[in-house]
Amino acid sequence: MTVATAPSPSVTGSPAGGPSRRRRVLRWLLPLGPALVLLAIFLAGPILWSVYIAFTNETLTGSASVNSQFVGVANFVKLFGDPNFINSFLLTFIFVIGSAVIGQNTLGLIIALLMRGRGRVTRSVVNGVVIAAWVMPEVVAAACWFSFLAEDGTLNTVLGVSQEWLYTAPMLAVILANVWRGTAFSMLVYSAALSEVPADLVEAAAVDGASPARRLLHITLPLIRRSIMANLMLITLQTLASFGLIYALTGGGPGTASQTTPLYMYEQAFRYFEIGYGSAIALVMLVIGALFSLVYLRLIKTEDA
Amino acid sequence: MRPKLAGSLLLLTALTAAGCGGGDAPESSSGAKELEVLYKVEPTWPHLEKMLTDAKKQYEAAHPGITLKLTPVQGNNEAYYTKLALLNRSPDSAPDVYFHDTFQVNADVAAGKLAPLDDYLAKWPDWSSQFPDSVKQAAKGGDGKIYGVPISTDTRGLWYSKDVLTKAGLPVPWEPKTWNDVLTAARTIKQKVPDAIPFSMYSTKIHGEASTMQGFEMLLYGTQGGTLYDDAQKKWVAGGKNFTDALTFINTIYRENLGPKLSDAHNAKLADKINWEWFPKAKLGIALDGAWASGAWKPTSTKPWPEWKDKLGWTPMPTQNGEEPGAVSMSGGWVMAMSSYTKLKQEAFDFITVATNKENSMTYSVSTGDLAPRKDVAADPKYSADNPSVKFWTDLASVTHYRPAYEEYPKVSAQIQEAMEAVTTGAQTPEEATAAYAKALPSVVGGPDKVLAR
Repeated sequence: MTVATAPSPSVTGSPAGGPSRRRRVLRWLLPLGPALVLLAIFLAGPILWSVYIAFTNETLTGSASVNSQFVGVANFVKLFGDPNFINSFLLTFIFVIGSAVIGQNTLGLIIALLMRGRGRVTRSVVNGVVIAAWVMPEVVAAACWFSFLAEDGTLNTVLGVSQEWLYTAPMLAVILANVWRGTAFSMLVYSAALSEVPADLVEAAAVDGASPARRLLHITLPLIRRSIMANLMLITLQTLASFGLIYALTGGGPGTASQTTPLYMYEQAFRYFEIGYGSAIALVMLVIGALFSLVYLRLIKTEDA
Repeated sequence: MRPKLAGSLLLLTALTAAGCGGGDAPESSSGAKELEVLYKVEPTWPHLEKMLTDAKKQYEAAHPGITLKLTPVQGNNEAYYTKLALLNRSPDSAPDVYFHDTFQVNADVAAGKLAPLDDYLAKWPDWSSQFPDSVKQAAKGGDGKIYGVPISTDTRGLWYSKDVLTKAGLPVPWEPKTWNDVLTAARTIKQKVPDAIPFSMYSTKIHGEASTMQGFEMLLYGTQGGTLYDDAQKKWVAGGKNFTDALTFINTIYRENLGPKLSDAHNAKLADKINWEWFPKAKLGIALDGAWASGAWKPTSTKPWPEWKDKLGWTPMPTQNGEEPGAVSMSGGWVMAMSSYTKLKQEAFDFITVATNKENSMTYSVSTGDLAPRKDVAADPKYSADNPSVKFWTDLASVTHYRPAYEEYPKVSAQIQEAMEAVTTGAQTPEEATAAYAKALPSVVGGPDKVLAR
């Protein structure tokens, strides 16, 4: 505490950065130090390593695992000419749009809107049910959906048909499962955002004769647009990296019919032991995720301007 | 304040380093030596664990001062390969001794992860007296050295349900001479016994090497001159008519609905369904599988089915058009291997000799239904006592083939699985799948100069 009594003329800025400035830097750097070191070792380290091996022919075993060579962009050239990768990329796109942007986002918003001004009992019951699906571990959720969609599962028993849903409509199955599991997040975000919408504004519009649809479109939605963007960004990134649910539900199959990019990456890296190629796929996914975030951040910024 | 922080930082780093590096110090805290053994276990397949637990007791009694640590990997073969490969990435996490599938051996030899055993084997009398020469080759490296002691070997062929075939009006014993005989029988079953699945084989990626070996190679090596690797030219064969014919067989099975439903074909537990559900209930006609299937029905199984000896028949898989020698089989097997990283080489080898001695080898072969690699086990009446099929499977050795288990083989196998699955689901025709295989092969085996166009 005694350090703080030192005069601080450097507020106006001593250009060379005097001793007091250095001391001040140390004062925030030192407590952060251990955390930074840990982050560097366990987060930055592996990331940098995986960026490096994406440019090598490293494998988990075999001769390339002991003397892997730098192969430049060969992995990426192979990647963009690989029909399985293109296929996985398209499926990932369908999965993100279908389950996150359309499914979770819209359903979450609708539930949040419907829950406004309902009784406490209704709210707790609906919240409980929706959030229960969310807190469930991915694998458990997948097991639930598997028993629901399996050939001798609940759905077929209720409908009285015999359909192999997971094989005839694998993408639909994983999209539905992910919507079911992830809607709670969007619902919570929108519930919070909607509670910030001033009631008098909506009432005033109602008095002026605006229909419920117009009130939603012209008052409520514009007021929560930043939450919408933030929510979209978060669920997009989450869904882009989704692995466990699909892996446990369909394993990416049949064939490659539901093999999204994370599953393709896993198969290449850990089943076929092509860890270099797998890392290249991971890197491409990282870039795609970053691009998505940039677009959303941009949109939020333009809204602010 | 600063020294304190620096101190805690140092401490933290030290702790982290200790945490990372503490993997398998040969000296445990009590000063006793520790050997780690890695193996696989499934709830439905406890056999290896039982045998290794016996072996651990015997070994520890004979070697005071050494503790044996048995590390199980829960899951199927594919999960085991992945786990082993990841543990083997670092000397600190690599197990000292492990259960190893022979087709993975050469890749690990090339990676320097396995220790050659020749010097130790020379001093082990059992090696020359009890292991036949063909079996000794199981884990031979490209350098001619031996990298594992066989714990099991196997052959492959057809199992069939006598009830289903009789109901379909087919002769029992059934002795198909060509692929067409097999397909005709399957079609007859489909027509006459509609509630039974006519024919089952492994043909999807989820079954991994089982699909390649029990499924595809059993077909390919039964065609005229069909092979994955040309030994004379030392090149991988890129598709060709043999390859397409083998895929066409699979295609016929699934397009004519002679096989299991797609959900079953993709079920990781297909073998359990075949052995414990379909065959006992006479819901399956014919299965292309291996000698070990009987392990599922024996008293040592988790779900014995004593009637199998009367209800099931077994016959060789015929060649495509009855070409000589009339039948085909594939052989592989598992070995006990030693890590090149282990600091206790002699101790590790001693454990391998215990795990593969007559008594333990017997326990393993009898419960798994695998064929015994040791002569004294094979000759023992206890080995064949409860298994009338064992002579048949052993005799298949006369027509059996071995995989070209070179370093590239696991990757080639993965490409074959892609082709098989594409044909199984109908995503590609046999011709398209063959073309895709031929196209992918050069990059998989390390260049077009290692590929023989067909």
